[in-house]
Amino acid sequence: MNSPQVLITGNGDQRQTLVVVFLRGAADGLALVAPIEDDNYYRARPRIGIAKKDAVKLDGFFGFHPQLAPLAPVFSAGELAIVHGAGSEDQSRSHFEAQDLMEHGGVAAGGWLGRFLRARPAPASGALACVALGKALPECLLGAPTVTVMQTLDDFALGAKRPGLRPEIERLYALEHGQLGSAARDTFDALQRIDQMRAIPYKPANEASYGNDEFSEGLKQIARLIKADVGLESASIDVDGWDSHFTQQTLLTPLVDKLGTGLAAFHKDLGSRMATTSVVVMTEFGRRVRENSAFGTDHGRGSVMFLMGGGVKGGRVHGKWAGLSDDLLEGPGDLPVINNYRNVLAPILMRHGAGADQLPRIFPDFSLQPLAL
Amino acid sequence: MGAGTLAAVSCERAKGARGGLLRFIGKPTAATLEGSLQAPAASEIDEVSHLLARLTFGAAPGDYARVSAIGAQNFIEEQLAPAAISDYQCDRVIRHEFSSLENPVSRLFPRKGDNKDPLQQLFPALRDHGAGVSDLYEYKEKVLLNELTGATVMRAVLSKRQLFEVMVNFWSDHFNIDPSKGECKWLKAADDRDVIRSHALGNFRDLVRASAVSPAMLWYLDGRVNRSKGADEKPNENYARELMELHTLGVHGGYSQADVMEVARCLTGWTVRDKKQFFKGRVEFHHDLHDDGAKQVLGQEIAAGGGARDLDRLLDIVALHPSTAHYIAWKLCRRFIADEPPAAAVEVTAKAFGDSKGDIRTTLRALFTSEEFRGPAFRAQKFKRPLHFVVSALRASNAETNVSPQLVEYLLRLGHAPFRYPTPDGYPEESTHWQSTLLWRWNFAAALADNQIKGTTIEFEALRTKLGGDEALMATFLGRTATEAEQSAYRESGSGLALLVASPAFQRC
Repeated sequence: MNSPQVLITGNGDQRQTLVVVFLRGAADGLALVAPIEDDNYYRARPRIGIAKKDAVKLDGFFGFHPQLAPLAPVFSAGELAIVHGAGSEDQSRSHFEAQDLMEHGGVAAGGWLGRFLRARPAPASGALACVALGKALPECLLGAPTVTVMQTLDDFALGAKRPGLRPEIERLYALEHGQLGSAARDTFDALQRIDQMRAIPYKPANEASYGNDEFSEGLKQIARLIKADVGLESASIDVDGWDSHFTQQTLLTPLVDKLGTGLAAFHKDLGSRMATTSVVVMTEFGRRVRENSAFGTDHGRGSVMFLMGGGVKGGRVHGKWAGLSDDLLEGPGDLPVINNYRNVLAPILMRHGAGADQLPRIFPDFSLQPLAL
Repeated sequence: MGAGTLAAVSCERAKGARGGLLRFIGKPTAATLEGSLQAPAASEIDEVSHLLARLTFGAAPGDYARVSAIGAQNFIEEQLAPAAISDYQCDRVIRHEFSSLENPVSRLFPRKGDNKDPLQQLFPALRDHGAGVSDLYEYKEKVLLNELTGATVMRAVLSKRQLFEVMVNFWSDHFNIDPSKGECKWLKAADDRDVIRSHALGNFRDLVRASAVSPAMLWYLDGRVNRSKGADEKPNENYARELMELHTLGVHGGYSQADVMEVARCLTGWTVRDKKQFFKGRVEFHHDLHDDGAKQVLGQEIAAGGGARDLDRLLDIVALHPSTAHYIAWKLCRRFIADEPPAAAVEVTAKAFGDSKGDIRTTLRALFTSEEFRGPAFRAQKFKRPLHFVVSALRASNAETNVSPQLVEYLLRLGHAPFRYPTPDGYPEESTHWQSTLLWRWNFAAALADNQIKGTTIEFEALRTKLGGDEALMATFLGRTATEAEQSAYRESGSGLALLVASPAFQRC
């Protein structure tokens, strides 16, 4: 008998899921992953730099923000890769323009994830192939074949208030032969799986402990969908509020905590399923190297990206690192973007089935040099 | 604050203020249900139900009776002459609710003060501080997309010029522009008005010409950067290729790569001023950026020194080419007859297109009078695309709607919200593409029946009473009398209206 995955998506045992986490508001890469062995860092950030003693040491040069400690074991296990100096070519330092450019994947129609889902040889077609956690469709998913914007699994209920409706719909479609009938059967199958999930209170595996916030809640729903084999091929989720112009430490501590706790719990919860799951964490740009008078940082250029799971070459900080001396900084004193985000996403998309000939359509007008991730 | 929040909040507020206005000017969308509401009485889709299924976004109560009374041919002629149809109610709603769309091109770009909403004027404390120019651009982009989407859905629901709206939908796919690319976000509104709506039932060559020099199209397919400044600058072929592949000849229309390059040369020098320039959005021809040498397109010579007139010479060659006639006829037959249209119907339609030099009305008249369209073989065989499905449900149930973001949300989930398709080929027509949308169709049916969609309400009991009971109600939705299985499901479901909208038959047209 065919597995439900085959029935729903037709993609057989390629049960891969790509999860995109977008940190909105421009997250400070130099606070998330601090160059703690670079004296220039502490000269530029005398009051708000991540102190060497507090940082979680990664590779002898970089250190995690203390609140990212839950991710340290994932990094050491080689399942988390970091790319520093990552970002886009956008020079506007405007949240809107930079997010647009990054999510569209250039001056292009639709979003890069939407184009990816559409461009593959067997486009994602299941009812639950793609979900966006939250209230609105993110721009990166524009143009996707089907997207479900959801906050909880309850959004998948059909006729909860009208118990008589669903069986009658099912009965009528059972009389249908051909395409429409089989599409209906696949849909009822997925619904049944969701029902079973909903019926049992969710207990994360491996004693994973999620936080009590929207981000953790969203990741938990994604983990449940992955484990239920409903054909989830990609999911997106945002963490808002990274625009740290003043009192950065106070602002970032709870946010970074949310990020670290959520990602670590997700990793633990999925266990062996992490091998076929990739998580990408990205933000529109980084922040000025030098702190401002309000204990904050202003809009800059390069930031970090995280890649977790899915056979990623983890335990390393990838890409070139320029250094923080004044002559190496860009414009008003920003970490330059050395690693274009497309070159970080490309190897992940290839692992998720994008062919070399499809990449130029996903990222038009850009000469790709994918990083070895 | 997080990026995006400001614009979203302002939009939401502005939208709310307009929603209030809508309530103030009365209930515009639900009809009063006067005159004969007689429902179909045959057990199969008859000619009248078929016409309503294909020429409109779905039959509303009373439509079947009215078309039966005036006759099929008169209905077709009526719909082919939209200017003669009084559409006062729809026009009024569009004017009141979607006023940004009337702005001239230059005013589609934001200006200082665009984000002032009435609430903020009254209560300065509500004013958003620190809104820069980029915020304003973002704000206007959202306003325009909301209004463009809202007006499109509203017209589909409300307009009496139904065939006109169906053709607007057809050409919007044929000349697809995704507003999310570059400055299309402001300029698509003008394309919708000045290109698609101006020529939807006019002449095809005029339509292609308007599209070729549409500011949004010049952005979308990179025509604005197609120029020649000496031998080492290669023209940008993007628009040239799509002009032939998608807009005119069709991919098998008999052109070569050499033709693509020659067409691109013909169009060098046409550009549009961007938002950083004076007269933003203005389309111009720059002779110094035009390759003024001789060209050869599809074996025909375009003499050197033609300048801007190259465009018209080029359109003389491609817009009314026999391949174009065949391709447009095939696409129209696919839309109106079947996913795999019968060759004979394509042939008579193509002939009408050629004989009338691209007159869209004449072409459609030939299609609608073809044996294949009129006969029973292809009735109720097409799968409604999601927009058609949603709008037909609203029309059949005589819904009162303000096309709120919650309604548009269903279209997004169904993957068919207007103006959201990224590539130039437009939303797919074939049913295979849309099979995975069933869950959200059923959810929409349940939400509509239970009045759970904000801004959209139906009065089920009143509707049932007016129509004269359950059987007539079922027949109004299905275009024929209900089968026994449908009747039983209708009774047992606990929500007859939801069941009808979710039923297999209602997915078809």
